[in-house]
Formats: sequence, C-alpha cells, structure tokens
Amino acid sequence: MSLKKRLLSKEFVVLAEMHTPKGVNISELVNNARRIKGRIDAVVVPDMDNGVMRMSALAGGVLMHQQGLEAVINVYCRDRNRMALQGDILAAHVLGIQNLIVVKGEEMASCDHKDARIVNDLDEIQLLEVVRRLQDGSDMAGFDLAGAPEFTLGCTLGKFADDASLEKELEIAKRKADAGAQFIITPPIFDIDYFSSAADKIKALNVPVIATVFLIKSVGIARYMSVTEPESRVGEDLIKRIRKSRDRETECLKIAGESIEALKDKVDGVLVVTLGWEHRLPTILDYAQL
Amino acid sequence: MITAERKPMEEIIESVRPYNRILLVGCNECVTVCAAGGRKEVGILSSALQMAFMQEGKTLDIKELTLERQCDPEYVEELVTVIDQADAVLSMACGCGVQEVARRYKDKPVYPALNTLFMGAAERQGVWAERCQGCGDCILGLTGGICPVARCSKRLLNGPCGGSTAGKCEISQDVDCVWQLIWDRMKALGIENRYEEVMTAKDWRTSRDGGPRKIIREDLV
Repeated sequence: MSLKKRLLSKEFVVLAEMHTPKGVNISELVNNARRIKGRIDAVVVPDMDNGVMRMSALAGGVLMHQQGLEAVINVYCRDRNRMALQGDILAAHVLGIQNLIVVKGEEMASCDHKDARIVNDLDEIQLLEVVRRLQDGSDMAGFDLAGAPEFTLGCTLGKFADDASLEKELEIAKRKADAGAQFIITPPIFDIDYFSSAADKIKALNVPVIATVFLIKSVGIARYMSVTEPESRVGEDLIKRIRKSRDRETECLKIAGESIEALKDKVDGVLVVTLGWEHRLPTILDYAQL
Repeated sequence: MITAERKPMEEIIESVRPYNRILLVGCNECVTVCAAGGRKEVGILSSALQMAFMQEGKTLDIKELTLERQCDPEYVEELVTVIDQADAVLSMACGCGVQEVARRYKDKPVYPALNTLFMGAAERQGVWAERCQGCGDCILGLTGGICPVARCSKRLLNGPCGGSTAGKCEISQDVDCVWQLIWDRMKALGIENRYEEVMTAKDWRTSRDGGPRKIIREDLV
C-alpha cells in the first residue's frame, strides 16, 4: 500500500531516512535500502542534509524508486530559486517520486560550503503553495502545465522545548498545513512522556503526525545533545542507561526501537533517522517489532 | 549614496488612510540628493496627500519635518517633541531611516513613502545608476575600478557572457556590458594582462549571505 493510502487509511507508517553519498558511489545507499525493503513504507531522502554538499535528493529518491522502495524527498529554498525548484519538482514526479517534504535549509554558516551564495527566493510556506499550484496545473507565473504532477506533501514542525515554544511552532505549522501540507514530521522525540501531551496539540492540525525517532549512537552524542540542544529533552535517565550498558551500541539501537514502539499509539507514524547507521535499521525495526 | 524613489501615490494614500494626524519626516542626506525624500519632496507629498484626502472630504493633519539624517539616533531624537501629536509617521527616508524611527518610537506606526533602491552614483543630472552591492570584499582593484558584482546582470567575475553585443548587455540596449567597460579601462591603464587571470568563486560570507551585518569599531564605541 502506498504511503498516501496508508496515511489516508490511518495505518501506522514507518519511514526511514537514507542519505545520498558525497560522491557517486551509491553502493552503500542501495545496499542499505535493500536491507529494509518490505519492512518500511517509504525512504526519506534528505537534500544536502546537515548542510553537506552531497548527491541531490532527487537522484537518491530515484535510486530508491528503482530499488522498488517508495521515496519521499526533501525540498528546501536555500539553494534554488523558484524556477529551479519548480523544474526539479516536475522532474521528481516524472521520475517516480510521489512524496515531498518541504523542509528548512540549514544555515549556510553551518554548511560545508560556507562561502556559498544563499538563494531563499521563496520560504517554506510559499513553496508549499507552489507545489499545490503545480498540482492544480499551473506554475508560479500563471502558465498552464502540460500535465500536472501529483504528490503527497509533507512539512516539518520546528523544535520545541516547552509548551510555549510548541505553541509558537504550531502556529507556523498551521500555516504550513493551510498551505497544503498533508502530513507533518516532528523534531526528534526523546522524552516520550512529555511528547504524549504535545502530540494531542499537534494532532489538532488535522494532518497525520509522524514522529522522528533519532538514533543516539553513543553517550557522548547523548550528552552533547542534552547540553547544546536542551529543546531535544535528552534526559539524564537516557544518558545513564546508555552509559551503564555493557553493550552501548546495542543499547542505543534498543532505545530507538523501544521509542518507535512507545510512539505507535500516539502518532500516525515514525521517521527513523540513523545518520550514517542506516545498516543498523533492520535491528532497530526488530526491537520495534516491525 | 543610497538611492530611492517615491512609492506610487495610491500605495501611500492607502497606508495613511486610517489616520487623521501624520508626521511626514524627510531626510537631508542621500534621499535629498536623489530628489526623493528631502525637504522639497516632503512639501510636495504633503500637499498631494492633503489634496487627495480633501477630495474624499477628509482633512488630513500633516506635520512636516526633515531631519539631518534619519538613520542616526541623534537626529531621530528630535522627533520626540512632535511625535505625540501624530497618529502615525510617514517616512521619506531610505529603509534605514524608516527603521530607525520605528526602533526609537516603538508605539508609533511608521510607514515608508519611498522604495529604497540601490547604492549608486549620479551619471548625469537626474540619472542615478547602481554601482555597489556592498558585498563586503571589494574587488574593484582587480577590475579596473568598475564593479561586475553590481553592474553585470549575471554578476559574472570572469569576463562577459555571450549576450554582450557591441558593448551592451543582452537585457537592454540601455545597459552597458560591464565587462566591456572593464576591458576598455584595463586597456587604457595598460593592464590587459590582468584580464586573463581567473577569479575564483567569490566568498559571499562577507555579503548579505553571511546574515545581517554589523560593524563594531572598538576605538569608537
């Protein structure tokens, strides 16, 4: 069943993130994708994720499609103007991509090409509207298209540390939903108890909510996130659990799997993000009993 | 200098329509030089607005004031004695001046009467042209004192594109091909050999791409 149908029929969806290479060697990407084929509903391919120049998400999405996996590709405004974005979106449809997520581009100062020029011709809300317009058969300049694309269109919810910042993010998210987003991806969720109360508020957007489960790979990363990203709500209990484990790597995978399991009755799906450990996705899915 | 043009009257009228008392503030600097927002233009706009509203049966109370520099807190402070007599401020400064007034008088709505355009120079009486984009890393020393960042339609750094014809840019016969100008200037200076030097991709961090910029001069702070 396609991602679109699963979302519509309120089936729990499982997405996994797969990164394109910095180069043209696609063997790892393809092998990792094959490992989870049949176990997830779609692969999400970020574009220049974390501000690193890589093979484009469009190519990554097409590779997934060629492997028989449904693909979701990220699109954002930092590096492309309205013409390039529209052209790539049309290309994506033609090449078999059925799903897009409009995301925020990383700040150029955090990218690996810090001296690059920033485009930002459109913002996220405008881009969502552009996709909707393309789907209605015309481009931004008002010209008719020779065949309109079709997508299931997603957006992201910004990071929130507390109820006040959640309210702020929900205001923005509501504008995205109004602009055409059909599902929303949350930031990484580590404090599931806190998220339970937030989930109800996010669901009020009336679009399926997909929670991000981010694989913490070490005590160091957990500690770093708790200090530098307090809004992530990585707690001491989590850090202690990894630290005290005899097999920390396995413990991290277990935590991710358990998080997915715990989120099953709270949201409409999960996006599993492993940042370089895509080869461990099958184990995480095992722990999640998926 | 910073150049600007007055917004269309309809837009200005709509922006002040909700108010009865307007403080119309000009600036004696750049916008005076480019005849967009100095004392004279403040007077003209004031009369035009009063006439426009009079035709609608409304009397608009406009107080006119032109500051020495609207982008300078020292001069913006002068509005303190009259600001309470106005429902809103209509600024005829560049965007810097508009924002300085808005920053100083937080509870007062401020509207721009001008569209700020570019940093430029006067080509002749009544004609101003773009000269600088404030990229933060000046290359004029490499290009014979003529800027391709500001004056080439494509911001090309290594010579003209195929659209350069008879010294003109493909976008308009009224626009010089800046690389033709640079070449002519290099020849005149006897430094044509520099033209062959390939300029590497520009570092845009010093430009607006690095985020909003600020200068802090510790010796003056």
